[in-house]
Amino acid sequence: MVFNSTAVILMLFMAIVALLALLIAIRPEFTRARGGKMVAFVALCVFPAMAVWTGGNEHLERSTSTRFCLSCHVMADYGKSLYLDDKSYIPAVHFQNNLVPRDHACFTCHTDYTMFGDIHAKWRGLHHVYVEYFGKIPKPEDIKLYTPFNNRECLHCHAGMRAYEEAPEHHKNPQLLQLAASNQMSCMTSDCHDIVHEVGNWGDATFWTPKQEGK
Amino acid sequence: MTVTVTERRIRWSGLLIVIGLVVQMITLIWVHPLAFMAFLLIGCPLVAAGILLFLYSIVSHPGVHQETAAPRES
Repeated sequence: MVFNSTAVILMLFMAIVALLALLIAIRPEFTRARGGKMVAFVALCVFPAMAVWTGGNEHLERSTSTRFCLSCHVMADYGKSLYLDDKSYIPAVHFQNNLVPRDHACFTCHTDYTMFGDIHAKWRGLHHVYVEYFGKIPKPEDIKLYTPFNNRECLHCHAGMRAYEEAPEHHKNPQLLQLAASNQMSCMTSDCHDIVHEVGNWGDATFWTPKQEGK
Repeated sequence: MTVTVTERRIRWSGLLIVIGLVVQMITLIWVHPLAFMAFLLIGCPLVAAGILLFLYSIVSHPGVHQETAAPRES
């Protein structure tokens, strides 16, 4: 359950709007007067539309949270992989060193930084929910990306970054940065940064426990 | 007191909006895909239907009292 300040304010707003709408539903003759018509327009049209808009925004914002992504059981191991105590695991390094916001860790890398990226993600999400409850849930290790990971998601942060552009490994091939930028050479499948979640292949891996969580 | 057709529609519109908003409020309690879907597939259509019914009611009917309307003189 979530009762942060935004949720509480939104719920209060919705409760007030619902109360207004209920009053008009109980006494519709109130709308016979000109003033009543104006109040009804605000209570039954403007405020409900605002409530839907703000509520929708809040839900969309929540859908980008790590907690939301990991709320399906099948994703639990992917969440666990963020705590792997091994620097060779790219998601774990990013998560544990705050290179991505921990509350939005999944979304930061697994979104298309394009105009309709979110819409595509939500559309696929609807299919995921259907499979979770009505379909055949795959094993966590069998879950694959729809399309190869696009370097654009890495370069959204790393492009222009000194450590990225001056790393000696990135200059072994003089064309490497260009190839990466044009997505002709994947950062993850070119024997460079190819250890990602690796669910099901952890062996006897150990896990990091954040201090505040380990108390 | 008599209720006009318009007022009856406004009553239904208010009730649809109330039910939709209550559903939306409940979905805000959880961070879960099902809460998101309930918001999108139950709450939003109910509120939208209420708003549309209200708009329809104010443009579709002159608001003549259903039970007291006298026949027009030709």
